[in-house]
Amino acid sequence: MVDLSVRLGPLSLPNPVLSASGTYGHGLEMRHFSPPAHLAAWVSKTVTLRPRPGNPAPRIAETEAGMLNSIGLENKGVDAYVRDVLPQWRDVPTKVVTNIGAESLEDFVEMARRLDGEAAIHAFEVNLSCPNVQGGKLPFATDTKLAHDVIAAVRRATTKPIFAKLSPNVSRISDLAKAVEAGGADGITAVNTLLGMAVDWRTGRPGLATVQGGYSGPGIKPVALRCAWECAKAVSIPVIGCGGIRTADDALEFLVAGCTAVQIGTAAFADPAAPGRLAAEMAELLETRGITRLADIVGTICDGRAVVCAPGHGTGAPGHSSAHGTPAPAGKVPPREGSAD
Amino acid sequence: MLPPVPAPPPDARSQEAVVLDVRTCGSDGVVLAVEPLAPPPPIRASRFYMLRREDGLSPFIPRPYSIYRQFGSRLEFLVKVMGKGSRALAASRRGERLRLIGPLGNGWPTLDGEGAPWVMLAGGVGLAPFPMGVEQALAGMDGAAPCPADRLHLFFGAANAGQLYDLDRMVDLGVEVRTATMDGSQGRRGTVLDLLNDAWAEGRLPAEVRLLACGPERMLEAVERLADERGLEAHLSLETLMGCGVGICNGCPVPTRPEGALGHWPNAKCCVEGPVFRTADVRLAGSH
Repeated sequence: MVDLSVRLGPLSLPNPVLSASGTYGHGLEMRHFSPPAHLAAWVSKTVTLRPRPGNPAPRIAETEAGMLNSIGLENKGVDAYVRDVLPQWRDVPTKVVTNIGAESLEDFVEMARRLDGEAAIHAFEVNLSCPNVQGGKLPFATDTKLAHDVIAAVRRATTKPIFAKLSPNVSRISDLAKAVEAGGADGITAVNTLLGMAVDWRTGRPGLATVQGGYSGPGIKPVALRCAWECAKAVSIPVIGCGGIRTADDALEFLVAGCTAVQIGTAAFADPAAPGRLAAEMAELLETRGITRLADIVGTICDGRAVVCAPGHGTGAPGHSSAHGTPAPAGKVPPREGSAD
Repeated sequence: MLPPVPAPPPDARSQEAVVLDVRTCGSDGVVLAVEPLAPPPPIRASRFYMLRREDGLSPFIPRPYSIYRQFGSRLEFLVKVMGKGSRALAASRRGERLRLIGPLGNGWPTLDGEGAPWVMLAGGVGLAPFPMGVEQALAGMDGAAPCPADRLHLFFGAANAGQLYDLDRMVDLGVEVRTATMDGSQGRRGTVLDLLNDAWAEGRLPAEVRLLACGPERMLEAVERLADERGLEAHLSLETLMGCGVGICNGCPVPTRPEGALGHWPNAKCCVEGPVFRTADVRLAGSH
């Protein structure tokens, strides 16, 4: 038996697998494909203060190794979410993370206030990084001060744990990670989609009605992994890895790189039963290496920051994981650009 | 009572299916036959499955295909080879395994024999949901009286004769089949709408008919216009782009009519609220 449990800030989770926002419904739509308890937490599609009809079609386009989307946060607003969706989650043996989105700091605060008293919600994920609204300008995800201020304001508006979802479309994601940590985030989700586009040269038609959109799927995994690793190095709050995760191997790579948990997103479109299988598949893989505690591999990447490295190669003791708040031994850390030091 | 939150149908599952055979169909199509690992229930015509090869040859997101024929646990899909995804499926060989997600969507309404005749308008590969629709109507659907063969009409149009897929087999369905091609290579030169207008002009059909249509966007928009002008009951089986097929990606919006049954929200999800919609409920023209 492999112990898959992790601590995600204030949350204790039986395994490290969460759904990614926007890819696994709002409520229990997917229960026929994945038993709710198989995911440690279900992250909702982004909820906004007012209803949003979303962007015009086409909203999705295929790519070689994933997809582009520009849904535009279509949702029926927070009132409908509270009335129609949250009651589904009563007595369901999993945690609910409600992803909230807004176009102003005030609306983020209002969302957190409105939902703070909802017992069905275990945590918020603050969507600072949707590329398909506000003209793709990503105001909250690219400005450290705005990101900090939004998280700090949401922090004051709720007692529930908050995770900040960051964008990979920045020069130094570690700066954003530090900003949201300073703002009071309990964790970081890294990352949202990469900005991308498609066009048919024969017709001149873009693949998406909004021309640019968010690129997700296996093609972005190396970028997401690098982003998550940078975040994990920069902060002492836990990082949830997200981006192109499809298999148990993918998920374990994010954990070794310093993430405490992972989210599975676009892979659910290729096989809607996949998210519910991932935790068990991770356990099987760990068993083949004789690893009995998943948390032991978190942050064990051999990136020059510590002497003990690689799961199954060392003592089995926890590595230097910044997610656990254990800094690497000072004398053994080579200076590196963008590090937390 | 909560308003329903659109969800995938409870009988849908994600599983592997074994390829049984692939036969050429028309000038640019194949019929792909598979057997899912779990025996499927009888599938309503115009429901669909998401299909994908998992060996890297298919694009990452699966493709929706209408169920074309079902013989027990043998499911057949009509695949027009157009791009990478369809080419990969068409290249499948016996014994290989595919990802099969379904059955999904709502399917045709009850094709009863009580009211006006049903006219099935099929455009090219839009033929797919009709053969089983004919068979199920003739057998009687949902406890309704079987539809007499003379109240079912299949009007089949395409760009050319090569895209009148399985035409010889359609003739064996036992209902009237008329054909039109844009280039005149088979049947009337023109469209399925021309076939319908001919039938009205020649008095072969009453003014009141019930329309079922599946085909290219422009054809469906023309059917929508006609239904609006004449106040006809019309059901469109739509094939929009889909990311997931199960209602979670919001990638397949169909604009709704405010006055229609789905008018409580500006978009319906094609995959879980369709793919069959009444023209009274959605608006295709001008939505692109």
